[in-house]
Amino acid sequence: MRGRQALALELRRRRGGRTPADPGPVRGPSAHRRRAGYLFCLPGLAFLALFLAYPLFYNVWTSVHDVRLSGLLGGAARFNGLDNYRVVLDDAAFWHSVRLSLLFTLGSLVCQFTLGFALALLFARPFPLNGLLRALLLVAWLLPPIVSGTLFRWLLDAESGAYNALLRAVGLDALDHDWLTDPSTSLAGVILANIWVGVPFNMLLLLVGLHTIDPELHEAAALDGANAWQRLRRITLPLMRPVCVTVLLLGLLYTFKVFDLIFVMTGGGPVDATRVLSLYVYEVFFRFFRFGEGAAAGLLLLVVPLLTGVFYVRRLRREDAVGGST
Amino acid sequence: MSYPVDRRRFLRTVGAGAAALSGGAALASCGGSDEPSTTTLTWWDYFTLDNFQPGMTRLIKDIEAGVPDVRIERRTFPFAELERQITLGAISGDLPDIAIVDNVSMNTLGGSDLLADLTDRVEEWGQADQYYKGPWDGCQVDGRTLGIPNQSNCLALYYNTRMLQDAGVKPPTTWAELASTAERLTRGERYGLALSAIRTEEGVFQFLPFLWQAGGDLDTFATYGATALSFLDDLVAKGSLSEQCVGWTQQDVNTRFLNQRAAMQINGPWQIPTLKEADFDWAVVALPRDKEAATCLGGENWVLTASSKHLDKAWEVLEYTQRPSVLTPYLVSFGNLPARKDLADRGAWASDPALRLFLSQLPLARPRQYGPHYADASQAVAEAEQAVLTGTAAASAAARTAAGKIDKALGER
Repeated sequence: MRGRQALALELRRRRGGRTPADPGPVRGPSAHRRRAGYLFCLPGLAFLALFLAYPLFYNVWTSVHDVRLSGLLGGAARFNGLDNYRVVLDDAAFWHSVRLSLLFTLGSLVCQFTLGFALALLFARPFPLNGLLRALLLVAWLLPPIVSGTLFRWLLDAESGAYNALLRAVGLDALDHDWLTDPSTSLAGVILANIWVGVPFNMLLLLVGLHTIDPELHEAAALDGANAWQRLRRITLPLMRPVCVTVLLLGLLYTFKVFDLIFVMTGGGPVDATRVLSLYVYEVFFRFFRFGEGAAAGLLLLVVPLLTGVFYVRRLRREDAVGGST
Repeated sequence: MSYPVDRRRFLRTVGAGAAALSGGAALASCGGSDEPSTTTLTWWDYFTLDNFQPGMTRLIKDIEAGVPDVRIERRTFPFAELERQITLGAISGDLPDIAIVDNVSMNTLGGSDLLADLTDRVEEWGQADQYYKGPWDGCQVDGRTLGIPNQSNCLALYYNTRMLQDAGVKPPTTWAELASTAERLTRGERYGLALSAIRTEEGVFQFLPFLWQAGGDLDTFATYGATALSFLDDLVAKGSLSEQCVGWTQQDVNTRFLNQRAAMQINGPWQIPTLKEADFDWAVVALPRDKEAATCLGGENWVLTASSKHLDKAWEVLEYTQRPSVLTPYLVSFGNLPARKDLADRGAWASDPALRLFLSQLPLARPRQYGPHYADASQAVAEAEQAVLTGTAAASAAARTAAGKIDKALGER
């Protein structure tokens, strides 16, 4: 009974996120100090203005003008309102790429997260070589996408790829498949590579989350007769909820804008089977040189990550507020 | 031991340093304007590979020695980057005086006002008729001369001599022969033919000859595109051509040929240096013909940018590079073919049988000259080919879809 009480108490404490730090006596900042504070903000603000706000606004400007290569030097581009957006939204290829992007993101996230969670649970308990194995797993995440993309291109190659060679070696010739050349499976192929890249990231964050759970809770629950599955369901998962949401949101942000990996593996092909939104934007810009439409498509590409970002920041703030009031 | 540094003194020191730096920069820029007689020309190209550097360095030294008061500042970009860089340069105003661009870039770059009009200078120069028709035509956009061919290449059919002998077949000269020969050469892990059908301009470069050989062009793609596509589709269906070619660059194709996993390959003369190190015998013949004989023109053009402040000097440099005594060693060092007829019996290409074959094909080589919206048409062609070869669409349906996109792209100007 006492165990249950302790658990409930701990749960309540945990829900609030971090334990509130002792605020201590705060001296009201003098005007002088406040000015100095603004001064220290300046480099950051200048950086944001130069490298974030300016390109973004330039992009918005481009998206409402008829900017093409011809006419780039012939003076100012014509303002054309929402024409670029209309052209992009009317383009079947755009919607196809949106669909692919969503599929890619969903497929990657679900698998990355599940595998990452499973691995995190595994690595959360001590066993020999735990540290070494964990470090090795991280390599996948540390590799530049160009390298991992090339790696998977070769692994999945129909003739000389290790994947098919392995299947043939164990007599599973029927499963031997040319993943990247077949338009119906090439998306699965790039998702597979992206899962491999993303699992360590998920695992690492979730592992950190798991370590913050007080082992006494598990002990108490075990004493009360809860089996492993119940402990996972009733203790680990509820306590991990904030971490999970964060990991998933960050994963969404990373996955939705993946470009390099796919570019290296398939270049968007075969036909247009892996031309996700980022590759679509790239092609409009750099293959067809229609900058106005490219900018419009680029801004549309921003919609999903932006919404996610807003949601994420609001969550963080709410968590902080809750944490502060406990 | 530590030196106490108060903030004011620190700031003063930093300020002095910054002033000294900017003063130095001002001095340096004064130094530059002291010698107005030397013109520095910026130069962009995509010859990044090591084996091109000695030849390029020598050419530039030669120019700096031969053209009075000129200095060349060269920058190289990866092949796929150059056109993009020039486009971005057009936006930012940072463009070179001279550039050596892929001949297909004339479609994109020619439609803008980016390139300098060389028509009058070329007329005065009077050497236009020294160039092969294809390469020269490729430099003309809307009746204006916008470039000078640098080097030219085209596609031909390489074959593994032993494999053909063993199979008792001759190198094919027609489509029918190509199909039957490729089929007979296919066995086990070895394909009869390798070519690139990748989803970029490279794949289109390899596909267009089939379209032209069938007797069509981009404006008749629905009919002749279907013919060409179904011919290739048959090759894949019979197993003579690997479906994997939709992912192969021309480099990958050559690697297959070198590893003897393809008995024949379609490729260009730039592969000859690598192939010379192969431990088997090979030879080259013209691409098999159907209704017509045709091949696709590759290579680069020299262009000057309209925004250049040193157009006269830049033209002087261009003219200088085209002198046979300068051009020949440069082209030989690159392993390239000349675009000029008067060099036909001068360089390595005069004696090397493989190079001579390619040179003999140049008169048949067609430039991809379709105007500023060619990129859209090209993508439509690439996607049609990929759809057919991967079995996602039938040849006639794919050709019809592509034709719609091509007409739309080439129709708008």
